[in-house]
Amino acid sequence: MDIQISNIDKSFDDSGSRRVIFRRASALLPSGKISVIMGRSGVGKSSLLNLISGIDLPDKGFIQVGDHCISFMNDTARTIFRRRHIGFIYQFFNLIPVLTVLENVTLIAELDKVPQKTCRRQAQTLLEQAGLWDRRHDFPETLSGGEQQRVAIVRALVNEPDLVLADEPTGNLDQETGAKIMEMIATLARKKNKTLIMVTHSPDAAAWADQIFSVDSGILTPMDSDTNG
Amino acid sequence: MGNRPLIRFCLRHSRRHLVRTLLLVFGIAMGVAGVVAIDIAKTSVGKSFELSTRALVSRSTHQIAGTGLEIPQQVFTDIRTDLGIHRSAPVISRHVKVSELGDRILTLLGVDPFSETHFRNLHLSPGEQDLSGVMTGSKGVFISRSHARQYNLDIGSPLHIFLGSRKTAVTIAGFLDSENSATGRMLEGLVVTDISLAQEILEMEDHITRIDLILDQDAAAEKIREHLGEGLFLVETDQQNTAVRGLSYSFETSLTAFSMLALFMGIFLIYNTVSFSVTRRHRLHGILRAIGATRANIFFTVMAEVMVYAVIGSVFGVLLGILLGKGAVQAVVATVSEMYFTLTVSQTHISGFTIAKGLLAGILAAFVSGFFPALSAAGTRPVSLMHRTVSEKGFNRLVPGLFICGLFILAAAALLMRTATPHAGYDFTALFMIFFGSALLTPLLIRVIVRVLLSAGMGSLGMMVKMALRNITRSLRQTSVLMASLMVVTSVFIGIEVMTGSFRLSIIQWVDDHIGGDIHVSSTDPLTQSLDTDLVEKIRQLPRVESLSAYNIHPVFSRASGKVHLFSYRSDQSVKRWSWTAAPKEELDALLENGWIFVSEIFAQRHHVIPRQGAAVTLETQKGPVPFQVAGIFQDFFMGGGRAVVSPETMARFWGHDDITSLQLFLASDTPAEPVMETIRQMLDPEDMIEIRSGNAIKQSILAVFDNTFIITSALQALTAIVALTGILNAVMALLLERTREIGILRACGTLTGQVKQLLLHECFFYGLISGIMAIPLGTALSWVLIHIINQRSFGWTYEMVLIPGVFFQAIALSSAAALAAGIFPALAAGRTHIPTALHME
Ligand SMILES: Nc1ncnc2c1ncn2[C@@H]1O[C@H](COP(=O)(O)OP(=O)(O)O)[C@@H](O)[C@H]1O
Ligand SMILES: [Mg+2]
Repeated sequence: MDIQISNIDKSFDDSGSRRVIFRRASALLPSGKISVIMGRSGVGKSSLLNLISGIDLPDKGFIQVGDHCISFMNDTARTIFRRRHIGFIYQFFNLIPVLTVLENVTLIAELDKVPQKTCRRQAQTLLEQAGLWDRRHDFPETLSGGEQQRVAIVRALVNEPDLVLADEPTGNLDQETGAKIMEMIATLARKKNKTLIMVTHSPDAAAWADQIFSVDSGILTPMDSDTNG
Repeated sequence: MGNRPLIRFCLRHSRRHLVRTLLLVFGIAMGVAGVVAIDIAKTSVGKSFELSTRALVSRSTHQIAGTGLEIPQQVFTDIRTDLGIHRSAPVISRHVKVSELGDRILTLLGVDPFSETHFRNLHLSPGEQDLSGVMTGSKGVFISRSHARQYNLDIGSPLHIFLGSRKTAVTIAGFLDSENSATGRMLEGLVVTDISLAQEILEMEDHITRIDLILDQDAAAEKIREHLGEGLFLVETDQQNTAVRGLSYSFETSLTAFSMLALFMGIFLIYNTVSFSVTRRHRLHGILRAIGATRANIFFTVMAEVMVYAVIGSVFGVLLGILLGKGAVQAVVATVSEMYFTLTVSQTHISGFTIAKGLLAGILAAFVSGFFPALSAAGTRPVSLMHRTVSEKGFNRLVPGLFICGLFILAAAALLMRTATPHAGYDFTALFMIFFGSALLTPLLIRVIVRVLLSAGMGSLGMMVKMALRNITRSLRQTSVLMASLMVVTSVFIGIEVMTGSFRLSIIQWVDDHIGGDIHVSSTDPLTQSLDTDLVEKIRQLPRVESLSAYNIHPVFSRASGKVHLFSYRSDQSVKRWSWTAAPKEELDALLENGWIFVSEIFAQRHHVIPRQGAAVTLETQKGPVPFQVAGIFQDFFMGGGRAVVSPETMARFWGHDDITSLQLFLASDTPAEPVMETIRQMLDPEDMIEIRSGNAIKQSILAVFDNTFIITSALQALTAIVALTGILNAVMALLLERTREIGILRACGTLTGQVKQLLLHECFFYGLISGIMAIPLGTALSWVLIHIINQRSFGWTYEMVLIPGVFFQAIALSSAAALAAGIFPALAAGRTHIPTALHME
């Protein structure tokens, strides 16, 4: 699904003064493509992903994900939409420490009352692809950073979301592992024809990107990406 | 790096996390408040007992009393004139009711103003000549000035004094003044008058209650003993005092138990909040170390901050405790005064000691609670990636050791309880050790219980249940403290419930055994208690009366315990439960006929009767002290300092009573009591002072007295519960704050707010459930200790422990509900979590 960002404003309270993050920002992030978002630290990239996924709301303007105008839904509708259509991958993995690998992966499906068999089969396929099926009963703490991030990727993809958001997924990993993770995310997204929006500083990312956006002084501008038509 | 900038930095950090800082201060404050409040309640009640005792006992060293609680006034004259003992005073003291003073029971004190000066500080106004003026026939009495003001009475106002239903009209001749408000309250319990007027009111003719003496030589005491005739004896006042003190002692005992519990909860609470707030900063300390702070820097910074909040919290706690304590005193003294009319003091007594104790408890507990976390904080490696789980892992290694430690402490407590010296101090130390020891067992128990619950299929109830249960063991270091305190509170609930429940059942049993009659007829005439023998015969002849138990009760004076009651039965229909007998049960009646006696447990305890062959007790008789062989000791709940049963012949021979004062009627089955009671009423003259009550009514009134006694316990239990619940609320909130990031993740992944709330409430429910489960064995042990050790030693009553399953369910429901209630607010807050912020939390 296309992501249509229309004239959004967003600012935060910063001990009394307001800090403007976005001012009249608009963009179209095309469906089925890999969009990479770049920009200086603190410029508002994570905030943008939060707005797209609906865990935060713009002050003005709206964001449309496919046919759904996420900015105008109520909290429950947004949550359910997120659960069904969006997968999220974070810099700090954000796995639930008291759940095993497999439980982390199937948690949301269970909360959504998806039949256990279906989601388990899907989980198994993905975990096997990630080379983590043997470790399905281990707790996240016992895994390395790269392994944890692979679990997080599986979790993001397990319910077949249309849209995958990744916020500096390699930012906390060494270069070699990072490159592998990047490849995994990109190939999976390509293969399944997902829309992937990824925030990253990694130069490798450019190689995978269909389109690169830069965030600066409150707006979102597409950059020419000649590397990959 | 100096400490100064670090401290400033940490204080700023605290300001940024205002909610947590407030929780810390509030936690310390509630802990201190609990300690202070109960202590105030305890000292105030203790103080009021002491004051009322002093008022009645005066400064005398000795007293002359008589077997029948009356002595001829002539004795006083003899002592003065023949023996020349001038520091002596005749006293009449008896409980009466005064209708104008709210129908309260007061002590009518008849004194001789000239002899009084050595004994009591009665400040009479206007002047003493008025008291002497009474002798001229104007029937004047003195009451406390504040009491008079309260009821709008003035000099010259008429009063009506009731003794039973005998009414005497008098007037207020003046007021009793006091030097301070404490004794002022104490005086409210008194009506003071001249000896002769007291004799008239009480129809004592030329008798008095006792003679107070101040003797400084043993020789003088010897001289008096030789002089005294039969039925009169000299006792040291201290001995008398012990009897009165016994009552207050048993109250203080139960209050001490509660103050122990409050102290324990307070320390728990403080430990919980302080250690929690320190460990939470682990990451921060790692960063500080990384940028060059030394171990000492970190340690002192942490301690300095903890102590700042400890002082603020303790001061705040003392103030809060004073407020709570005042409320508790009001509740406690109201009930105590209802039951023991001599107690009229209702002033809150706040000693510097109490305040110091509260402050010290707060500051010391905070110090100790902060010390070890501060040490470990100082040991933080200078790596910023330190996770909280590292300290959890350290704690997990300690768990088996703590368990073993706990077992040792429990064993030591058991040993301490078994020590031969029945000293309350030991019992309470042991109680404290039981709480502490079992608290140390909890981490391992929690782990085991969680594992059992998970493998018993709780996990299949869904991911939420699984997460909730695993979260408990994951933060075991904090959850175990929380659950240990919840367990202790719940076990106290169980202990008290089982104790009162068992006690009540025994009382009911006892009432059925001893007051089994359908109708009771007894004399209410305080002067001549005998029932007319014709009346007794007529009642015996009534058609529906199947059998009749006739007996007499006479109060006599005992050197060892003051007033005791002697019973002699014409035909004894009561069922006694023996705790010891000198011979097979069938032979006991024969022994009684031969002049042996039966004594109640309390009587035995007060008279130091050791249950073995040859046990004997010396009683004051009209013929002087006589040793009696004890045939058996029976369980008994007779209110009034113990009793003894003698045969009618013994009663007549040694105390000169061969009358009947009470009857119990047993009716043919299915006969309603009311018509028979009406028939008996018809037989009476209107002026007869005879009370006819149904067995049921008596049973109800006895149970009412019993239930009233335990209102105090309930009031204190409620107070402890308030402290405990705030502690639990505090701990739950602190714990759930820790879950913020996790909640952020869950929400970001698509968990609904309702599901997040559910998760937290599940977790709280399990805190409560598991604590409740753990409280069952502890509560049972506690009730055993309360019944068989503490209660027996302080009250002298024994009764069987009856375990009521309902209490256990109640306890589990209670602790689950309490934990759930504590979770409501955090759950609501969690529903409003701002996801991006939560995700960015350290
Ligand atoms: N919940 C929030 N409250 C206040 N300020 C925020 C919040 N989230 C982000 N910010 C601020 O908005 C700015 C952009 O943050 P972020 O989107 O995380 O930047 P980036 O991901 O580009 O590094 C930062 O200055 C940050 O401090
Ligand atoms: Mg970011």
